[in-house]
Amino acid sequence: MNSLELILTCSIFLFLIMLCVLVFARKVQTILPLFAAYSCVMLFDLAGVWLIYHRFGFASLTSYYAYWVALLINAVVRSFAIAELCRYGLRAYHGIWALVWRVLTTLSILLLARTCLDAWGQPNRVAIYGTTIDRDFALASIVILAVLLLFRNYYGIAVEPLQRAIAVGICFICVVDFVGNTVLRNIFTGYLLSFFLSNQQAIWSALTPQFERVRESWNAIHLVSFMVSMGIWCFALRKPLPAPAEAPVLLPAGVYRELSPAINLRLASFNNRMVELLKP
Amino acid sequence: MNNLLAIVPIVIAFSGVLVWLLFPWRGSSGTAASSTHPNFNDALPAPKHFRYFSQIRQALSRTDDEYLIENAPSAVAKQALRDRRAVARSYLEGLHEDFSNLARLGRIIATLSPEVSHKQETERLILTLKFQMLYALVWLRLSTGKIPLQNMEHLTGLVGRLAARMDEAMAEIVALSSAQNPDRLGV
Repeated sequence: MNSLELILTCSIFLFLIMLCVLVFARKVQTILPLFAAYSCVMLFDLAGVWLIYHRFGFASLTSYYAYWVALLINAVVRSFAIAELCRYGLRAYHGIWALVWRVLTTLSILLLARTCLDAWGQPNRVAIYGTTIDRDFALASIVILAVLLLFRNYYGIAVEPLQRAIAVGICFICVVDFVGNTVLRNIFTGYLLSFFLSNQQAIWSALTPQFERVRESWNAIHLVSFMVSMGIWCFALRKPLPAPAEAPVLLPAGVYRELSPAINLRLASFNNRMVELLKP
Repeated sequence: MNNLLAIVPIVIAFSGVLVWLLFPWRGSSGTAASSTHPNFNDALPAPKHFRYFSQIRQALSRTDDEYLIENAPSAVAKQALRDRRAVARSYLEGLHEDFSNLARLGRIIATLSPEVSHKQETERLILTLKFQMLYALVWLRLSTGKIPLQNMEHLTGLVGRLAARMDEAMAEIVALSSAQNPDRLGV
């Protein structure tokens, strides 16, 4: 671990402590328990990995596995936090929520299946599996967030400031992870592939400096992106949270059943008239 | 590496759209998103453009066109025809606004409904997308003078009926909701 990584890791540790303190001080766990859990998991992950580095040494195989396992745990817990973000604020709109969760669940299953398929054909090495899975998880998170926001935008349901900050932070991490992991995976499966193949042990020592350089660069970028996201979340939590919005008053189901087909029929006839207008 | 060059800009652009969606700094289309819950008053300004159709029809009448071409100097007649096309385009934009309000009413009803039909919602989304495309085409052809201005009358008649139905629908919703819970609906 070089001095830059050390400084960044220490800064992140402080940021994470601050984030967890703010999360519990603002009682975020009462409205977004999975986001609160995500904050804690990040802190414990970092502390755990740090202890393993300290106990087994930074260059040990145990540390290497611990890093990748921590990264994947983070990605999984982040996915739960995103799922919670989808549910929060929309569940009060029963009809729309019933529609949205089906779409998002289908999309998630498809994206997870894609992740599995993508990771399937990779050489049997933790780093390549890890970068592939982490990259695809990041892409899935971006897609799910985008679809959620499109739904909310389409139906005119605004995003509250805290939710918005959480979504921006997660989105930022995911974008950096996706781009970084794509580059990293291309390098690992490209000119550094020999470094992961058992039958090429003879050239491992020659490739080690290059592997280290790639790893250090990616670590620095990854840690900075984490710090930026945590900054966004801490900034959003600097003030006490406003009172949660009141649940909306829903209309009787009959209103939708009567009016929606009528509106669609009118919209369709309007389109027909527009088509007529275009006929020569 | 070629894949990378294609994927990275797409993801960055996609994220830009994501951030754009997160912040309500857009104009009229973001009106309904400005509050936490959809609100009828904010989202639906009363339909108004169709009401001016008789004046527009007079201004765009074929007899006026013919009179201009026969009696006015060529340059003046051309300028007047151009101006009339511009008026027709502005009017088409107004009709678009009325149409959008009706579509938005549909979305607000869906949002506040305890159950929605995915078939209805998909249909409305497709109709709205189709309308946007058709509107762009009509606007383009109107600008190039390939649509007789008189054809606008059919369109306007339809929007007029839509707007009347929208007023009725609004009244029904307000009545139903007020009866259910008079204190809490944002109308």
